[in-house]
Amino acid sequence: MNTTTHIRNFSIIAHIDHGKSTLADRILELTHTVAERDMVEQVLDSMDIERERGITIKSQAVRVMYDASDGQTYQFNLIDTPGHVDFTYEVSRSLAACEGAILVVDSTQGVEAQTVANALMAMNANLEIIPLINKIDLPAADVDRVRHEIEEGLALPADDAILASGKTGEGIVDLLEAIVKRIPAPKGDTAAPLRALIFDSYFDAYRGVVALVRVVDGHIDKHMKVRLMATGINIEVEEVGVRRPANLPVNSLNTGEVGYLITGLKDPADVKVGDTITLEKGGVHEPLPGYREVKPMVFTGLFPLDGDQYSDLRDALDKMRLNDPALIYEPETSHALGFGFRVGFLGLLHMEVVKERLEREFDLDLLATAPSVEYHVYLTNNEMLAIHSPQDMPDASTIEKIEEPFLTATILIPPDYVGAVMDLSVSRRGTFVTMQYLSTTTVEMKWQIPLSELIMDYFDQLKSRTKGYASLDYEFCGHQPSQLVKLDILLSGKPVDALSFIVHKDKAFDRGRILTEKLKEIIPRQMFEVPIQAAIGGRILSRTNVKALRKDVLAKCYGGDITRKRKLLEKQKAGKKRMKNIGNVEVPQEAFMAILKVDE
Amino acid sequence: MTCDSRHIDLVENHDQQSGSSWVGTDAPRSDYRGLYIHIPFCSRRCIYCDFTTRAIASDSPELDEYRDHLIREIRKATREGLLGSIETIYIGGGTPSYFGHGRLVDLVYTLSLSINLNDNSEFTLEANPESLTSAMMRDLYSLGVNRFSLGVQSFVDSELRWLGRGHDSRQARDAITMIRERCDNVAIDLICGIPKQTIRSWQQSIESAVETGVTHISVYPLTVEEDTPLSAMIASGEARPPDNDLQAEMMQIAAEILPSKGFARYEVASYAQPGYQCRHNISYWSGIPYLGLGKGAAGMRNLGDNRERLLAGQVVERLAPAQSRAEDLMLGMRMSRGVSIEDVRSAQSLIPSIESVFAELVTLGLTKVLDGRYQPTARGWLLGNELYGRIWASVDSDGIQV
Repeated sequence: MNTTTHIRNFSIIAHIDHGKSTLADRILELTHTVAERDMVEQVLDSMDIERERGITIKSQAVRVMYDASDGQTYQFNLIDTPGHVDFTYEVSRSLAACEGAILVVDSTQGVEAQTVANALMAMNANLEIIPLINKIDLPAADVDRVRHEIEEGLALPADDAILASGKTGEGIVDLLEAIVKRIPAPKGDTAAPLRALIFDSYFDAYRGVVALVRVVDGHIDKHMKVRLMATGINIEVEEVGVRRPANLPVNSLNTGEVGYLITGLKDPADVKVGDTITLEKGGVHEPLPGYREVKPMVFTGLFPLDGDQYSDLRDALDKMRLNDPALIYEPETSHALGFGFRVGFLGLLHMEVVKERLEREFDLDLLATAPSVEYHVYLTNNEMLAIHSPQDMPDASTIEKIEEPFLTATILIPPDYVGAVMDLSVSRRGTFVTMQYLSTTTVEMKWQIPLSELIMDYFDQLKSRTKGYASLDYEFCGHQPSQLVKLDILLSGKPVDALSFIVHKDKAFDRGRILTEKLKEIIPRQMFEVPIQAAIGGRILSRTNVKALRKDVLAKCYGGDITRKRKLLEKQKAGKKRMKNIGNVEVPQEAFMAILKVDE
Repeated sequence: MTCDSRHIDLVENHDQQSGSSWVGTDAPRSDYRGLYIHIPFCSRRCIYCDFTTRAIASDSPELDEYRDHLIREIRKATREGLLGSIETIYIGGGTPSYFGHGRLVDLVYTLSLSINLNDNSEFTLEANPESLTSAMMRDLYSLGVNRFSLGVQSFVDSELRWLGRGHDSRQARDAITMIRERCDNVAIDLICGIPKQTIRSWQQSIESAVETGVTHISVYPLTVEEDTPLSAMIASGEARPPDNDLQAEMMQIAAEILPSKGFARYEVASYAQPGYQCRHNISYWSGIPYLGLGKGAAGMRNLGDNRERLLAGQVVERLAPAQSRAEDLMLGMRMSRGVSIEDVRSAQSLIPSIESVFAELVTLGLTKVLDGRYQPTARGWLLGNELYGRIWASVDSDGIQV
């Protein structure tokens, strides 16, 4: 088949928990792509952590063949995208590989922040959007309200929205038919030189980097010599194939088709998401639009609790990066925590997921320091330093100005909570941008907020102050100058580098006081009194004490008690092992994250 | 034999007796120097208790069954030659005095057939003031029981009621007087940190204890054990958890008052008049093997440099030489005499870090060096877990087999 008329490339987009993965499962079932006996929940989410958290981290592309009611067989390429704001760029590339999108909206929850964000991205990518109102089997389903929200809030016609239930399978055939009828076939020039988009990649221990690609023009064949335009690498294609969802090699991927490509490249950094593949000889000069370097936004120190695990951690990060090129890291040394790495992430979820996977898949015990952002520090000598860790902040006297990253946050809430969001956002140094009623029940507010404030407990606070109604989406809007200072925490008179953080000068006093109080609760009593101080430069802002432990004795210890008491001592020892010994002070891990839980 | 040198420690008050107490010259020898017999019954359970015991009716047929079972165990141990070197006997519980006059007489009589009970034996019976009768005391004393450990806990009636004890302070005084008519070796327990107890009432309890003329006083902080009524009361907010700082102060008060009244502290929780230290308990802290009989009774034996701990006759733990050595040092530091520098040095071949651990203990102020021995400081008494924990952490505890 050398025409594209029977190809449909689409994505399913949704707010978290609106049932995207279950819907994908039903499509695979109905088209007999996955044999019933191999069917598991969330087929496309292969990582444990994806299944447990109900999220999608990696993109997936699966080809299904559908025998439509018009008697023809269609090739569907379903591209499953990450749903979280941390992975916005990956989502945009996946959408660029599609002509259509199914916008899933939970019939009980309605339109939420990521529904809007994803719909806007799909519109920007010129995709045909098919709204689908999901979970209509639930008693709380309110189809009319959701239809109204889609029309009002997203300016999408919702009369012909598909009504479906991923759980019962109702409406899935309607959906498949709508895909055939409403999503356009790929346009592309079968006779033109090759242009293919890399929209994701993963690492296979035996084959190297596997790129997921969409052929835009021309065709890509086994043994073809191709060029990766952004990295300038020329290489021969070892294998092309399609995913059903297991890899199935084919001789060629033609215009409009989606599949995978293996070149033997081993370094994921060589195969960049968003890059264009063309022919080595006679290829195009203009790459496909939209490529950019992925830049981490949030940085944290990761330290092995057991110093001997440093090289294990390095190996684990090396392995992890094979499947996650967005992960960057460099060695970091802390007086308090020893040797570790400063690791950059796309966002907080990305950070949590990576840390959890490192601990689980590589059996490491890790201590994470409070996340930081990238500060641009302009020195009096006009030099600019990009700082990822408070430790690297130069002496205040050499600093001309500091800039920090800002975000535009989009918050959707019921109108009752406008005041609560105002209070919270202002207290987090937010600047109001716009407010608009999407419907009588939903207000969209936009705020400009420093990223450093957002990664404090902003989202948790937002949820709790709006009784869970708020949803949040954000995008980076550049660095802006701020009055920032480095705040040090001293334990027993000695600064603990891993507890330092950078804070707006107007907030320094309050944050310092609250953090010292928090640390007083977290740090257990020790054999000596432990003074806790917050300081800027040499100036002490606040001070508190952990009183010395006076009594810690198991007084009774006769014949039968000995084993038991010894076990108690062992338990105590194991507890201490989970703590970090700084100077003479045993500090529990949560102390390093305490700054994130500062509830003002 | 590993315990010969330790034997001297145990019987330092009567060297000439060593190894000669014995029934019949051809009885086989055994390492066991101590015998513990457990009576797992009480009239009621105190709110803080997590010992192996349960409340039972005093006329329950189970009591006779248990007596018969113990007598069979004693006879079996005798046949196996396990009782040949026993020097100290301790009947504990539960509440042994609640077991009943007749049953206790049966038990002690059976023991007296297998063990030469003489003036150099130490034979302790635990008792509660309300269940130790004069007749019971008289008969048991005649059969060889020569030390009575009375569960007094406090001399303040409101505190006793709160603890769920079955006696008041008058009954405690009467019981002590009654015992002292025949036997001067009376030990009592006191608990500090009872909710509503004050520094003043604690001082009163200590002073009352001294006035009664007892020879041995144990001082414990109230400890909240899991799955006790007390822990449930604290979880529900009905009771406040004991205040560690207050307990520390109270233990400190005991450590000041008691020595001034002639009671020397010889172990973290134990104070005694000269010559009245509990030899049986000292054996627990000195690596001396003891046999446990009865339900929930613990035992210990040394096999070469290895050590086994037993529960109700079953081996529950095997300690390697280094572990057994670390345990001896740790338990040795519970006592005021501590451990000798020489002992620590000689442990170095088994536990490479042990000398530096003791050096650190001195630096931390938990331990001092006196007369060629490491001994606990006042701070070391109060922060015992830090002290013992550091010693125990010098060996790998993962290897303990169960």
